[in-house]
Amino acid sequence: MSYAYLFKYIIIGDTGVGKSCLLLQFTDKRFQPVHDLTIGVEFGARMITIDGKQIKLQIWDTAGQEAFRSITRSYYRGAAGALLVYDITRRETFSHLTTWLEDARQHSNSNMVIMLIGNKSDLESRREVKKEEGEAFAREHGLVFMETSAKTAANVEEAFINTAKEIYEKIQEGVFDINNEANGIKIGPQHSPTNPSLPGAGGKDGSQGGGCC
Amino acid sequence: MEYFRSGLKSVLGTPQPGSQPTGAETVERLVNRVTSSTLLDDRRDACRALKALSRKFRLEVGAQGMDALLQILELDCTDCEIIGYALDALCNVTSRECFEEEEDRVNVNVGEQFTEMFVKNTGNVSTVLAFLEEYDFRVRWPAVKLLTSLLGSKPKEIQDIILVSPMGVSKLMDLLLENREVVRNDALLLLIQLTKSNANIQKIVAFENAFDRLFDVIREEGYTEGGIVVEDCLLLMLNLLKNNTSNINFFKEGSYVGKLAPMFQVPENVEEVGWSPQKVSNFHCVLQLVRCLVGPNNPVQMTSACQKAIRNANLLEALCNILMASGVPADILTETISTVGEVIRGNLANQEYFANVTAPSNPPRPAIVVLLMSMVNEKQPFHLRCAVLYCFQCFLFKNEITQLQVVQTLLPSSNAASLTTGQLLCSGLFSTDALSNWFSAVAISHCLIENPAQKEHLLHVLLAPNIGAQPVTLIHQMTTHLQQTLKFQAKISILMLLAMWMSHNQQAVQMFLSVPGSVAFLTAQTSADECDNNEELLQGLCAFLMGICVAFNDNTVQNYSRENLSQLIEKRVGIETYVSKLSLISRNEAYAKAAKQPQIKAKVSTDLLLEFEFCKLFKALESVIVNALGVQRDLSNGMSELSLTAHENALLLQYKELIREQDRRLQDMQKELTKSLDEKKHLLVQIDELKSANAQYKDENVIYKASFSNSNGADEKMKQLEAENCEKTSELEQLRKDQEDLLELLTDQDLKLNTFKNRLRELGENLEDSDNSDNDT
Repeated sequence: MSYAYLFKYIIIGDTGVGKSCLLLQFTDKRFQPVHDLTIGVEFGARMITIDGKQIKLQIWDTAGQEAFRSITRSYYRGAAGALLVYDITRRETFSHLTTWLEDARQHSNSNMVIMLIGNKSDLESRREVKKEEGEAFAREHGLVFMETSAKTAANVEEAFINTAKEIYEKIQEGVFDINNEANGIKIGPQHSPTNPSLPGAGGKDGSQGGGCC
Repeated sequence: MEYFRSGLKSVLGTPQPGSQPTGAETVERLVNRVTSSTLLDDRRDACRALKALSRKFRLEVGAQGMDALLQILELDCTDCEIIGYALDALCNVTSRECFEEEEDRVNVNVGEQFTEMFVKNTGNVSTVLAFLEEYDFRVRWPAVKLLTSLLGSKPKEIQDIILVSPMGVSKLMDLLLENREVVRNDALLLLIQLTKSNANIQKIVAFENAFDRLFDVIREEGYTEGGIVVEDCLLLMLNLLKNNTSNINFFKEGSYVGKLAPMFQVPENVEEVGWSPQKVSNFHCVLQLVRCLVGPNNPVQMTSACQKAIRNANLLEALCNILMASGVPADILTETISTVGEVIRGNLANQEYFANVTAPSNPPRPAIVVLLMSMVNEKQPFHLRCAVLYCFQCFLFKNEITQLQVVQTLLPSSNAASLTTGQLLCSGLFSTDALSNWFSAVAISHCLIENPAQKEHLLHVLLAPNIGAQPVTLIHQMTTHLQQTLKFQAKISILMLLAMWMSHNQQAVQMFLSVPGSVAFLTAQTSADECDNNEELLQGLCAFLMGICVAFNDNTVQNYSRENLSQLIEKRVGIETYVSKLSLISRNEAYAKAAKQPQIKAKVSTDLLLEFEFCKLFKALESVIVNALGVQRDLSNGMSELSLTAHENALLLQYKELIREQDRRLQDMQKELTKSLDEKKHLLVQIDELKSANAQYKDENVIYKASFSNSNGADEKMKQLEAENCEKTSELEQLRKDQEDLLELLTDQDLKLNTFKNRLRELGENLEDSDNSDNDT
């Protein structure tokens, strides 16, 4: 399928906060209650529409376990967006956000859009982190915030789509250099400003043409 | 060489006349110079010389100079030239290959040992990784080569180091954008080594846009017409996709399948130009790549998604074109047939597409017929025939429609004018070529998998073995062929087909049992005890078929009912022997090989014995058969007390007694338990009652207590009254006493009075009568 833009996302956060479930809910619209540890990184993809434009999201779901941290770091550089997830029923996952954020800021490109997600909002009775706390943290660090439930699908679409909107706006503002693939953004084949007969060659010589897009 | 010698002279000074320094001495002096010289130029010259000597005197340079070279990497990192020399020297020292000019070549692998030394400090690898960022050709190129060499001998260790070093993989990936081709090409080789069997690195490399960059390189190099660089690119892609579902998903989602299309373009003039060896290699890789996406071992939904993507990208069409093109080398054709097979396997739409492909022959025939013609043709290469069978199996896999269509061509009503699959398979089944028998039997058996209707249809197939002779059923003809043929492979294949056919089909069993000699043949084979590997397999298969005859028997054939057959097995073979004969199948090497994957993988034709689907059938039915025989035996033996020995009987009685006793006790206990429970209930009720009574009493008590405290005042009064009473009583007593005294006194007075009266009377005094009267009364 053709697309106007392609965005690369990563999902990060402590183990067991529901990263893989968020991805599964978004790509397959289903919920898997059994906790299956992610080994390394898993890939998922979906097409969305923003502003009437087809946008392809490529999402890399990372392993939350400490042992995979160095592997996870390799994915920051090439991502345009990141979902930083914590579990509202486990305070420690919220306390670790600072570490995650430092890690992300250090290894990613500075324009990467980070969306803070408080997951498991369906488990209101076991809540340990107030919504206001999440909002405050997001405000303090300049993140977008949302509470979601991968189980009931509440806000899941919104989380991914709002992140994409944010990136899209940044592109419109010209913040992102869309011709640098290391930013995690690609222009769709037919939208490429360069000669369509040479699709991949636009890397260097197409940078001027890309700005007007 | 003269250049080096002069260089050496300039570094070491003119050698002393007469005494030629040994290699070790020279190296020692150079190492000294590298470590102690204060001038960069001197160090650089010494390093250049070390590099020059690092092949010939590898052992010496490695043993003495390793630390010096590492020191240079650390301290002189600003000078590209010296770093280049050091990296080159290290590359030679740690190389796995032996150099021709190397002196005293020892058997132990020196390079590997030096690699180990180098890798022991993981920082060294990071240092080399850092040099990749240096654009200078003199540094970047040797750094790439050194890393490749290190990866060659210590892949696991280097992979782990690169994985944890920040941006390690990213730095390597950037090399693919390198415009100096030699660096880019060597980086490709490096990445191929790096991605071998490490899923995490494979995923990061894919994330770093590897597929985009590789397709760019492939396009620049001219697709499959290109040189070895194209092959390297494809090999790297293969590494990224092999057994990596996440990357396969990424490849599919990233629409890279479509980018494969230009690779399948066969130029118009290919027949004149022919296929260059490089093109054959490249094409082979492309086919492997496609098979990676749709391999039968991948998750089903992934495979079907990729199959769809391949069809939509018109790759299936391109593959079929190659299949029907002329002048395609045999090994490419073979691989293409297998690839087509896996692309259509279990995918209805793709199977349907393939069913409609026609070959440009005269008259036009369906491609599948043309392929089967090759399969039953002795003159075709063995591997090609195997591939055709695999493709045909994939064509039938999970597709009842194609299964039906093939079986229909076997039925008598079908149009005999044109060559059909049925005719080809039938002729193959009874041809004199054992391999054709095998291929055809397996092909037919695949029409019957999980398809009872086709098993039924096949029963109606009639054959006329000789012109004018009475037509016989297929099962009859097969059984006769089984008994007559001397070819081992043919027997095996017919037994496999019969097993597939007769399993879960009582009618087929009935027809088989009715063929004269069929049971006798099976019994004879099963009870034979030749120990040849092949014979064992044959015995196992006959035992298996016999078991099927027992398990799926409707008792309609006289003499061969379920009971008769199992008695036959027990008497002629013995149950134990029979079971061990059955297990001969699964213990055979051929079984292990065939059960591994659906594709037929045999090096030589004699390797073709068992087949994947048959192995699955055997696995499912082995226990069923053993159970059926066991049940039959139990029934016929009549497991009763009569058949037991005295001792067993005694034991049995003992146990029965024991059980009875236990039963009785159990009942008693249960009774007691119910009783106790009842009692408990009762008691509980009582307790409740008592409790309520108690409470009542308590209440009353409280009331009484209250009223008691009220009655205390009256008591006092009473006491007072009592005291008063006492007083009064004593007073009364006093008064009574007084009265008595007074009465006594009165009596005395009376007496005295009377005395006085009498004295008076005596004295003559007349006294008043009143007194007399008184006295009279």
